[in-house]
Amino acid sequence: MTLYKRFFLSQFVFVILFFLNINLAAQSEGEQIFKSNCAACHTIGGGKLIGPDAKEWLSSDRFVSTDDPLGTLVKYVQNPADFGVLEMPAQALTAGEIKQVLDYVDGYVPEVKEVVTSIEVAEEESTNPVIILLIVTLILFLLILVLVSVKNNLKESLSLPTETVFESFKNYVTINRNKIIIGFVLFISLMYLLYNLMMGVGVVEKYQPDQPIAFSHELHAGLNGVDCNYCHSSAKNSAHSGVPSANVCMNCHAVVKGGDDKAKNEIGKIWKSFGLDIETDDFDWNKLDTYQQTPIEWIRVHNLPDHAYFNHAQHVTVGGLECQQCHGNMQEKTVGQVATAEELNKIDYNIKDGIEFDHPTLTMGWCIDCHRQKEVDMEGNDYYTEMHKNIKEKHEGVENFTVDMIGGLECGKCHY
Amino acid sequence: MKRLFYNIGIFTVLSIFFACTSDSTNNPGFEYMPDMYRSPSIGAQSEHNIENYNSKPVLGTVARGKLSTFNYSSSNEDYLRAGLESTYPTSFVKTEKTLDQGKGLYVMMCSHCHGINGDGKGSVDHPVYSAIPSYSDSIQIRRTGGNMRDLKEGHLFHSITYGLNAMGPHSYLLSEQERWKIVYYIQEKLQKNK
Repeated sequence: MTLYKRFFLSQFVFVILFFLNINLAAQSEGEQIFKSNCAACHTIGGGKLIGPDAKEWLSSDRFVSTDDPLGTLVKYVQNPADFGVLEMPAQALTAGEIKQVLDYVDGYVPEVKEVVTSIEVAEEESTNPVIILLIVTLILFLLILVLVSVKNNLKESLSLPTETVFESFKNYVTINRNKIIIGFVLFISLMYLLYNLMMGVGVVEKYQPDQPIAFSHELHAGLNGVDCNYCHSSAKNSAHSGVPSANVCMNCHAVVKGGDDKAKNEIGKIWKSFGLDIETDDFDWNKLDTYQQTPIEWIRVHNLPDHAYFNHAQHVTVGGLECQQCHGNMQEKTVGQVATAEELNKIDYNIKDGIEFDHPTLTMGWCIDCHRQKEVDMEGNDYYTEMHKNIKEKHEGVENFTVDMIGGLECGKCHY
Repeated sequence: MKRLFYNIGIFTVLSIFFACTSDSTNNPGFEYMPDMYRSPSIGAQSEHNIENYNSKPVLGTVARGKLSTFNYSSSNEDYLRAGLESTYPTSFVKTEKTLDQGKGLYVMMCSHCHGINGDGKGSVDHPVYSAIPSYSDSIQIRRTGGNMRDLKEGHLFHSITYGLNAMGPHSYLLSEQERWKIVYYIQEKLQKNK
């Protein structure tokens, strides 16, 4: 009896597993068919694309109210022109395949992705000021010794009792205890403040202002692998690597409207700059000129003073630098940020090129650090043929030319 | 007691001083000569309140050196017409170097959707862009009635310029010369790649 039971049970489990398996296979096949035949025009629960939202349409009256929904759908998909729909091309799919797609659409659960938004804060600890402080203390201590001996000499000449260094220190402290404590604390704090203030003048490292839109470089350049030069398209051709205008965003975001409310809200701000509402309006490229556009007021992060000239094209196109060499791994961060020199020293491209920064980012010393170390490719640039020839003659026997050798340290190159 | 209060007062004032030097990421820090950093002169994309400064040029203005050889509108009829008529401008040189530049531009501007090999499997991970056709496909497409492999340079150039389906227009991002380079690369390497 038990043997029978066991046998049936195992058969039962086997059958269930078998059907489950088939069901799973059908799901993934439906997904495949949907992605290759339908996804170009239809989303599942993502709103209207070129055609209507598949989930919405399949649950609409137009489809459900018919006597034989599946049969109607099969006819519809195989020949939409019969239903007066000319926009949709006829799909060569069997009834079984369409059923699979239907199952896939019904069971579709959008993937939720977590975007990591941690920003590393590098701790910096410099020993130099401590050593300087110790030296200063030593000098001051010697000064005290000298002064005390002078005082004793004077007292001796007046035949008064002399005191040792320790005694005179003790006497002074007992009389002026509070003054000393307050003075000491005040002095140290003021010096600390002054030092920080002076060292921080013109240093913008870690500057990362809140932007009007919570844009994530990590999501766009990191997870989705969009090249930096796609949005910052003028970096390769002009001095400025501009912030992309809203129509560049719309290349994707006319159809990518965000999965959750937060994303929709942020992308909605781009739509709003065209005077459109992401929920109700449609975006049409042909009507671009008629939209009431207002600029998105991004806050500038990298800002050089007017007396320094910098050209992106010269560095990106001619010099062949990677964006990360100066801007850090932006594909791992959210909104724009000035990378610290320590961070840049860890970038693979910089290690490969042998570049090590000693000065804070965007200061002149920082530019010079790189110009002294970065090697220049002296071949294959027709524009500089003559100049490179002359430089080679000037530095005979040198094999690796750095930027300073071709005039990268001349004042007038950047300050004019 | 009075002295104690005095000391506490001093301590408080100092604490406030220290608190002021917080390292908030919203603060660019102290600038040497701020009028050099944020000068009244108008730079690229800077703010200003001059009326009509950003107004569009007179209708029909052609920027120097930017006279187009491609005069088609964004409509579907013009798309088909461009495919039949339009070809590379006479100034376009088909060399190995141009092909390399075209490849560089393709990888930079197109590959995240269309894939490095033009197979439509790019790195962009969104359902809308999950069904991009391959350039080497022989499946019939709706717009021309032909297939992706047989698309003419005019078709490709029109699509890049004005966009198609979920793809936006890229005339804002690429100059005509750059677009022809991409078209050349697609025709030479990706359409023939099985």
